[in-house]
Amino acid sequence: MEYKFNFLEQVHKINLEKTDDLFKVIINDKQEYNISDVEVESNLISFKAEDKIYNIYCYSDKDKTHLSIDGENYILEKDKTSKTKTGEQQKGNSVFSPMPGLLVKVPVSVGDEVKSGITLAIVEAMKMQNELPSPRDGIVKKINGKEGEQVDALQVIVELE
Amino acid sequence: MFKKILIANRGEIAIRVARACKELGICTIGIYSTIDKKSLHLRFMDEIEWIGDSPPLSSYLNIDAIIKAAKQTKCDAIHPGYGFLAENELFAKACEDNGITFVGPNSNTLNLVADKVASRNTVKKVSVPIIPGMEMTCTDLNKFKQAAKEVGYPVMIKASMGGGGKGMRVVHNEKDLGKSIAISQREALSSFGDDSIYLEKYIEQPHHIEFQVLRDNHGNCIHLFERECSIQRRHQKIIEETPSPVLNDKLRIEMGEASKKVIEASNYTTAGTVEFLLDKNKKFYFLEVNARIQVEHPITEMITGIDLVRQQILIAAGEKLSLRQEHIKQNGHAIETRIYAEDPDNNFVPSPGKILYLSEPQGPGIRVDSGIYQDWNVPPHYDPILSKLIIWAENRDLCIKRTTETLKNYIILGIKTNIGYLKRIIKSPSFCRGNYDTHFIDEHEEKLLPKQEKLDIALIAGALSKQVGFAKSAINFQKVSTIKSTPWQEIGKWEICGQ
Repeated sequence: MEYKFNFLEQVHKINLEKTDDLFKVIINDKQEYNISDVEVESNLISFKAEDKIYNIYCYSDKDKTHLSIDGENYILEKDKTSKTKTGEQQKGNSVFSPMPGLLVKVPVSVGDEVKSGITLAIVEAMKMQNELPSPRDGIVKKINGKEGEQVDALQVIVELE
Repeated sequence: MFKKILIANRGEIAIRVARACKELGICTIGIYSTIDKKSLHLRFMDEIEWIGDSPPLSSYLNIDAIIKAAKQTKCDAIHPGYGFLAENELFAKACEDNGITFVGPNSNTLNLVADKVASRNTVKKVSVPIIPGMEMTCTDLNKFKQAAKEVGYPVMIKASMGGGGKGMRVVHNEKDLGKSIAISQREALSSFGDDSIYLEKYIEQPHHIEFQVLRDNHGNCIHLFERECSIQRRHQKIIEETPSPVLNDKLRIEMGEASKKVIEASNYTTAGTVEFLLDKNKKFYFLEVNARIQVEHPITEMITGIDLVRQQILIAAGEKLSLRQEHIKQNGHAIETRIYAEDPDNNFVPSPGKILYLSEPQGPGIRVDSGIYQDWNVPPHYDPILSKLIIWAENRDLCIKRTTETLKNYIILGIKTNIGYLKRIIKSPSFCRGNYDTHFIDEHEEKLLPKQEKLDIALIAGALSKQVGFAKSAINFQKVSTIKSTPWQEIGKWEICGQ
């Protein structure tokens, strides 16, 4: 998944890729971080980045994410220059469910050749169906979970080769 | 003792005063302006009175409305807090005329201490050193030139009724004198309604050190040691500590005795502060008397263990001071940082608005005098002070560490605050060494800029919160929808048994 934030009038690009229990994060196509132990509890987000644990208070509204780290506040603004919708920008090797829900459909099989943007899975929650698109062109390597099963938030559903 | 006190203020100081009143068994009357209807201080009051529209002139500076509220609620005293009408002799006089006790010195004393030239002359009579300079205000340029020559450049032009840096001008040579006098006069007239100015020697690299004093109506007077207030921005204090890292015991005793002399000579009563400048050769000069409970009073309370607001009220009620000078000891170290709603990274512009998230710190030696709560809208009409963080520890080093760590855990989201800026000051090597004077902020401007060291972490957290945050709200929804019935419901139908 790709996110873009505006901070002090500069756009920052964050690529978030989930592999099993880890997130691999690439910032501005340069800096790489391995993130684990992610917990989000109301206004507190905790995670481990390169062996250091961070407990960060945050508040998100429509346009801004307010964060406090070690006494310094950061306000990340939604990047208004990018028009692409969230969910269409996965660039990684997998698709995962953004929420806990029901796995409604997996329209692909292992070994299938898929194009970027094609729907790899459909998850339903709160009466809303979410189509999870392929982040890139590739071949389906593995499918975790069956149609009709419950999936957890962040559970990887389809992995690409 | 008083039965009812009207607290003529808002925010953290109104709450601080209300606490002292309640411990003394006194009923508290709170006042509020239109926009303050939901302000935190009102939750600490037994009765509340609306006194006017949001602008200060219509409300917290509106003497008639406040006196009316006090009479309506049958108050026997008014506590003015700090700022607003705290040192206004007309307000003190209005209280006196209406048979209400003003918790502070009487209107005559207020008048005397507000007039800088008059208090310089009072203080000179009791041989407390004053900054060399003119003994009366004047408008004659030649007299200014002569006085400047006598004390030597640089000199400082000051407004006689001044405060907060208004009307103050440093002059380095005779060429600039005339122009600076004109500017000072204009500023003094517009800020204080009085254009009288005078000149004194400009003290270079000064420390701003003040002494807390208490004096009752029976002539008993004590001091409660010093507060070092040299961390100032545009003549406004932002960090204070006690004991001062630059005073030794001998100087401390001398200045303490001098402050008592000043208070006695001015016939000052209740709680007050005597301000001094200390030059680089450790010579001290009387600056002025602050006739109010000060913003930074808690650090004195932390190291002496004495509740200053309680003492102030007891003295105003005519009681004799039960404390003796020899009983007052300095225990440990205390630092206060003032939390403001302002943006230090953008020229300190005020930052009113809604507090979206608030988590105030706690732990040993931590005191938070706060006037805010989560979801409250910080109004744009008043001083940007949100709260004060006061830290106590056994010694200065520990106090600095504790302050740094505590600031990290003071979370205010939604509006800009100076918390990060305060942390950067406290962590700076000069502050840690105790090696700073009133020019600290100007000299360290560059070094105090934010470094955004944790921007990557912020970006990661921002992305994760977007990613996982939505997932969580879905989980919460699920939890609600799958709530199991209670055992009572499961038991089924209830019937009364028996006959």
